[in-house]
Amino acid sequence: MSHDFWNACLARLEQELPPQQFNTWIRALEASQVSAAGDVNLVAPNRFVLQWVRERYLSRIEQLGVEFFGKPVAVLLELGTKAQKPQPRENTTPVVNGTRGESARSALDGDSEAHRIDAEIPANKAVHAEVATPGNREKTRLNHDFTFDTLVTGRANDLARAAAMQVAQNPGSSYNPLFIYGGVGLGKTHLVQSIGNEVLRHNPRAIIRYVHAEDYVADVVRAYQQKSFDQFKRYYRSLDLLLIDDIQFIRNKERTQEEFFHAFNGLVEARKQIVITCDTYPKDIEGLQDRLISRFDWGLTVQIEPPELEMRVAILKKKAEVDGLDLHDDVAFLIAKNLRSNVRELEGALRRVMAYARFHGREISLELAREALRDLLAAFNRQLTLDVIQKTVADYYKLKLAELLSPKRTRNIARPRQIAMYLSKELTPASLPAIGDGFGGRDHTTVLHACRTIAELRLADQQLNHDIHVLTQVLRG
Amino acid sequence: MKQLILDVRPDFKPTLDNFVPGDNAALIAALRDHIQRRDGSVLYLWGLPGSGRSHLLAGVATLAQTLRPVALSAETATSGALVCIDDVEQCHEDALAALFRVLINARAEEQCVLITGNTPPGALGFRADTASRIAQGLIFEMRPLSDEQKRETLMQHAAGRGMHVSPEIVSYLLRHSRRDLPWLMAVLDALDEASLSLARPITLPLLREILRPE
Repeated sequence: MSHDFWNACLARLEQELPPQQFNTWIRALEASQVSAAGDVNLVAPNRFVLQWVRERYLSRIEQLGVEFFGKPVAVLLELGTKAQKPQPRENTTPVVNGTRGESARSALDGDSEAHRIDAEIPANKAVHAEVATPGNREKTRLNHDFTFDTLVTGRANDLARAAAMQVAQNPGSSYNPLFIYGGVGLGKTHLVQSIGNEVLRHNPRAIIRYVHAEDYVADVVRAYQQKSFDQFKRYYRSLDLLLIDDIQFIRNKERTQEEFFHAFNGLVEARKQIVITCDTYPKDIEGLQDRLISRFDWGLTVQIEPPELEMRVAILKKKAEVDGLDLHDDVAFLIAKNLRSNVRELEGALRRVMAYARFHGREISLELAREALRDLLAAFNRQLTLDVIQKTVADYYKLKLAELLSPKRTRNIARPRQIAMYLSKELTPASLPAIGDGFGGRDHTTVLHACRTIAELRLADQQLNHDIHVLTQVLRG
Repeated sequence: MKQLILDVRPDFKPTLDNFVPGDNAALIAALRDHIQRRDGSVLYLWGLPGSGRSHLLAGVATLAQTLRPVALSAETATSGALVCIDDVEQCHEDALAALFRVLINARAEEQCVLITGNTPPGALGFRADTASRIAQGLIFEMRPLSDEQKRETLMQHAAGRGMHVSPEIVSYLLRHSRRDLPWLMAVLDALDEASLSLARPITLPLLREILRPE
């Protein structure tokens, strides 16, 4: 009975949820027997999935339970391991295990020597060529300031942080690869380095390498020039954890992609963890081989979004705290309200305020912050106008600007219009009546409705969320 | 017969000390602090042409040379260096790629970076990942000098060349010439050359002759 219910539930949720959400969270669950009390037990593969499902999907599953059983049923979530469960759905589970690794091996096109090296590496045992002495830490290229403790969490990055923490606690056996994407300056590097530092904390002998994709490309070029590819391959396959930042930099670099492909396969097969960051969703990376893109989808893909106001304030206070400064809320709000696009800008502004206060020998106050940031804020605030946003959104959805501003209410025009209104509210200081005026003389309540609609849709519609992410990136340059 | 000039005049070397700060005192203090940094810090200085960006960059580079390696391009940056990039808006693609690599590795390489440009970081038209890394640093806009501050700078420049220039000459220059500092200093240099080669004292008539269109 439990399995019948769960199958029906899967069918419904598959229709209701975007594929990635469904595959990542719902398919990862397994139904066990209905208890004597009539409860439905669902087994989650780890604490992370359990928590996520409990917060976002449990109430919907309970609703479906009422429909199916004709009465309220308790849906209980519990932890279980893959091994305890029936055969996993290999093609959809977000977890890449050894079996999946075999398919990766079969996809390899040669390089038997490399395979021999891999075969010599025990699957579950790290190869400790180097110990995490201070010198070894140096070799990891990790910045020890980038830890989970110093990372500010908010709605924009809570999923990514939870996934990163999960990976740090179970490297190689949870989500492999973990693919983190988001715009510039949103904390991707901090997050991946937090994973590295956390793994190193638990296992000082772990061989970890943080590498920016630009440096990876340079390593490949150097190996090519010095004819030292064997050494290069051995090194990258000896790692317990590879953190590669800004993978988009290997686009159109065929030889680098070739090497990365083999390194990727070697590491995943050996159950070594790979974490990748990128400025966009895997399928949107141009100039990347399909076989790499498909591998990036094996694990879990999570997004980091621009931080909301409260999170920006928290980030500023945290950064000030690191510098031994107790930043007042009003100053933090002043900076956070005016600089919206990324964390680096916030950091730059905070530095400016601190330098100004130090030079003038004054305490940091709202008045001083205004003085210090006068030029900076003026420059940022004159950046975006409604016209620019409307034009960008119209171009993105292949509409004419006149259509966007027209009274037409068909879905293909109304939705982009709502998105443009939403972005106008988010990215400009314009009032709601001013935005309404700018959109063909609409009332401010229409703008309000549009903003609320889009904010709600973003939570459920991944494509729309992605569109807004891209548009925001484009508009912020 | 034209008199030959024995060119033994002291060279004018841009330093932080011979820059008239005007309203840029906080910037000068930040630059002095920046010279010592090895934490990957970035200081970006922007302003109009002729506002003194290159003077300050050269002054910082000169001062830093006694303390650490100094690289005047991203391509030549070594570990522990102060990397100085002047007129970043003129960097070509390869130079920008090298700059990006410096920016992402500066902390690990114990470097710090000083960049000058003609616009705020966001208006440079660079890739967002490069522009945002510059914006993460300490940003200063050069404050233009007032006429009084320009007067002080010109007098200082003249003294550095061993010229005796009366305040009337500087006032005349500020009233009748283009008013950006590189131009004003070039006029003073030309006045000095003319005075030496013609064996005439530095006077207002001589200045008028120099400024008179051919």
